[in-house]
Amino acid sequence: MERINKLLDNYFKGESTLAEEAELKQYFATGTIAPEHTPYIALFQAFGQELQQQYAAPVTKMLPKQATGKRMGVRALFYSGIAASLVLAVWIQRPRQEEDYAVIRGRRIDNPEYAQRYAEKKLNDVNEMLQHRLKPLRDAETLKENLRNVGEGGNDKSQIIE
Amino acid sequence: MDSTQFNVKILSLSDKLFRLAKSMLRNTEAAQDAVQDLSMKLWEKRKQLDEVENVPAFTMRAMRNLCLDTIRKQGDEDELPAEFEFVAPNPHQQAEQKDLAGRVRDMIDNLPELQRTIIRMRDVEGMEISEIAYITSIKENAVTVNLSRARQKIREKILYEQKYVEATIWKE
Repeated sequence: MERINKLLDNYFKGESTLAEEAELKQYFATGTIAPEHTPYIALFQAFGQELQQQYAAPVTKMLPKQATGKRMGVRALFYSGIAASLVLAVWIQRPRQEEDYAVIRGRRIDNPEYAQRYAEKKLNDVNEMLQHRLKPLRDAETLKENLRNVGEGGNDKSQIIE
Repeated sequence: MDSTQFNVKILSLSDKLFRLAKSMLRNTEAAQDAVQDLSMKLWEKRKQLDEVENVPAFTMRAMRNLCLDTIRKQGDEDELPAEFEFVAPNPHQQAEQKDLAGRVRDMIDNLPELQRTIIRMRDVEGMEISEIAYITSIKENAVTVNLSRARQKIREKILYEQKYVEATIWKE
């Protein structure tokens, strides 16, 4: 027990070695822990749990910058262009497996993983931008529909009054 | 550095980079974006990576700098002051937070940025003090001091919380 107390003292002073810290982790993972050490179980558990956190590598979700009007249209076209050229580049190179590459901003990219991530990111951007851009149109359609319904409802009402 | 070397040396560090970014930014999505951004930036400069002696440490340092830039751009609005004091949870909060290890993670998250980065690099990633000093751009003895302060703060908080819980139980 004295050994563990000494290791803990060194640990909290920041003077323990990696090997000593591994010994402490091992001690707190075994389950036979002295009562005076129980407050520190959660501490070492927390480190173990954090190590299990992994990068999920999802399709990148890029937060679009607020843009409006013409700029947004130009950006949408720009990203659509990049995405289309990427898809085209990958498609053109498909039959020659050994020489697969993509062209991004005029540069040859040989790393398929990078090219795929880049393409996914840009396609996601385009998707988000189009969703954002089409929203006013959808709203306008909804408004038009509502106005039409109100107009028809108004006629009905006038008919009832009559 | 060709694509195979890049995949082995850089992309294999994704989990570590993600944990570092998450610890600094305290946001999962922002951390994922940071990993993505960094891997793209490094790919564009892959030729220069051949000259780097310790690629993992260099990459971690680049990630820390990228996260620091992000925090600066945010205006440090959600960064807690260095002298942040721990407030003991009331019994209701305790009931909500049954997971003690989760409480410890919160305590670490509430440490100043440098201390939480250092304690996680050491206690989660198992890095040497010299590596941490390189990544954080500070001297080795400064790493040791910050590590000690971080650990002692966590210990104080754990013991304080335990006393609070015991006192509450005795009252009841």
